[in-house]
Amino acid sequence: MNAIFTIACKDLRLMSRDKGEMFFTFVFPRILATVFGLVFAGGGDGGSKIDLAVVIESDATLARDLARDLAEDGAFEVTQVPQRALAEELVRKGRVTAAIILPASMQDSAAGLFSGGGIPIEALVDPSRRAEIGLIQGKLNELAFRQLSAMFTDADSMRQLMKGARESVARATDLSPTQKLAAGALIAAGGAFSDSIISRGSIDGEAPHRRDASGWSPVSIKIEELAARKGGPRDSFDVSFPQGIVWGLAGCVMAFATSLVSERVRGTLDRLRLAPITRGQLLAGKGVACFTTALLVQLVLLALTVFAFSSHVQQPLRLLLAFLAAAFAFSGISMFIAGACRTEAQAQGAGRGALLLLAIIGGGSLPLFLMPPFFKTVSLVSPFRWAVAAIEGPFWRDTPFSDQLLPLAVLVAIGAVGLGLGVQAMRAHNR
Amino acid sequence: MLVLRDIRKSFGTILAVDGITLEVRAGEIFGLLGPNGAGKSTTISIATGLLAPSSGEVDLLSLGSPSQPTVRRHLGLAPQEITLYEGLSARENLLFFASLYGVPQSGARVDELLRLVELDTRAKSRVASFSGGMKRRLNLAAALVHDPQLLLLDEPTAGVDPQSRNRILELVRVLAAQGKTIVYTTHYMEEAAKVCHRVGIVDHGHMLDVGTTRELIERHGGTSAVIVLRDGVETRIETMDPVGEVARQLASGGVGGVRVEQPDLESVFLKLTGRSLRE
Repeated sequence: MNAIFTIACKDLRLMSRDKGEMFFTFVFPRILATVFGLVFAGGGDGGSKIDLAVVIESDATLARDLARDLAEDGAFEVTQVPQRALAEELVRKGRVTAAIILPASMQDSAAGLFSGGGIPIEALVDPSRRAEIGLIQGKLNELAFRQLSAMFTDADSMRQLMKGARESVARATDLSPTQKLAAGALIAAGGAFSDSIISRGSIDGEAPHRRDASGWSPVSIKIEELAARKGGPRDSFDVSFPQGIVWGLAGCVMAFATSLVSERVRGTLDRLRLAPITRGQLLAGKGVACFTTALLVQLVLLALTVFAFSSHVQQPLRLLLAFLAAAFAFSGISMFIAGACRTEAQAQGAGRGALLLLAIIGGGSLPLFLMPPFFKTVSLVSPFRWAVAAIEGPFWRDTPFSDQLLPLAVLVAIGAVGLGLGVQAMRAHNR
Repeated sequence: MLVLRDIRKSFGTILAVDGITLEVRAGEIFGLLGPNGAGKSTTISIATGLLAPSSGEVDLLSLGSPSQPTVRRHLGLAPQEITLYEGLSARENLLFFASLYGVPQSGARVDELLRLVELDTRAKSRVASFSGGMKRRLNLAAALVHDPQLLLLDEPTAGVDPQSRNRILELVRVLAAQGKTIVYTTHYMEEAAKVCHRVGIVDHGHMLDVGTTRELIERHGGTSAVIVLRDGVETRIETMDPVGEVARQLASGGVGGVRVEQPDLESVFLKLTGRSLRE
């Protein structure tokens, strides 16, 4: 046991001193996970438009004008959809960041501004896009205020609004006669005041919507966060985290496979074999170092995702199980590559190439759930695909343990076969 | 100490070692002399248990084959390649190997070895920063870390400058004086003649002859030659009595110069194989 520990510690120390290997094993996957996460979240450059679905349920002019203003605004890419359910579906599928519902009650509420509340607008949002939601709220307030300003400075609209307000006060059941009288007088005074403002504005030729309106919010936005549909990621980091792991494991496998081939080619392996330790202890030492690093790579990435991007692990213990299985599988693959390649050039060329291909088809570049059916089938040959499947379940899919069993079994089998073949191949090199 | 009996080793159709038999005695420095590709390193690998022979037997210290971990812990190997970890320091390398061998008080042993190979001032430097000669000496120290009884040095001076070569040869003599049994492979006949008590001449996987340098020269070296320069012309005279021949030539007068060529291991190799050791 001491020999295994000694060899593993030596390998870990050597790896920690190799800046290139450290970068590709620990730093590169973190960069990749972060970049992919931001790209999938649509926040990569800050300059792209926010996709919105707009549903106009109201016949009011205000609703149409607001929808038009949203479409014309440079910050949004607006798709008008006929039904609320359809808009909701688009948000859930991640096709749009939010759906803005302009409800049927909109005109009435605009007329009833003086009896309390703002214009009700509903927003169905993807909770993972919080940064954009703030922007959408601000924009809606700005656009709604512009519409209301126009309304208040239009004599006909204003008169209609005042009339509606008087009717609203008259209908109100929670006001005493004295209060109704006072409100009526206030509305009448407001009407006279707005008439004088409108006529003066016309004379001055001043654009009415430029008047200062700070501190007043004309809309009441009801935000409804749509829960992620079962089977879909909660946010973009759910997707980029397994991708980062794929590349981290690939870096780890290559580092240790190349190190083992180097030991054989340069003769240090012979010196190890001369020591009074069994071949099993020697290979176990190498395997433990690879296993430890593979596990560490995953834990470091998890820490990044949880602490920096506020991701939540659904099933921590099962995720740890997936990490252990993946580390075992890729330690086996590392041994296999080390055994199959005779030279360092072979390991770094053919080995890295094959691993790169498997990583790509296994979900390293395109998430598995976005792959076309044909590639999903092809991906079954990639050990990375099984690692992603084993990790995604307990990380964000929250699938039952029975769903995780097959990926776990495949990973363990890959590890065992890789170790077996690798050991056989290394024996053949020594004959 | 080490016995090889009729060892054969083939790699596919290539017969690398063809029936080598030898016995290395306790406390001696035994030289395996032969050109590159003669089968010296393969013989060493078989002697250490790193390679299994196609046929034949190896016995170390009458304990059996060194393929057994308990047997091979009694031997130390400094391979022809520098088998050290360049990313580790000199001290870390030795401590690592000491740990594998379960050396007690390994720190003290490592410090002692670093002093022996004169690398104690560079103990904390990474091997990657060492010169070829320094790496060779550390390579030798790594073979000594567990204080083995038998030391196998495969071309220990390959690729080093003359100064480092002399230091390594001196080190070999010191180790022999400490009671180590040493098997020393080289293709430099001067090294074999300088440090080895007995030498085995190897070529094409065969052991051609074994003996002390004097015995080999007597058996295969042939006669001495006296080269006489007279009137600008050199004349070579083969003789069993070079001193007497020189005296006769000088007495005859008109000699512009004279020198004597003694037979050496190079002559032995030439006689045994029909070609030069450096070809």
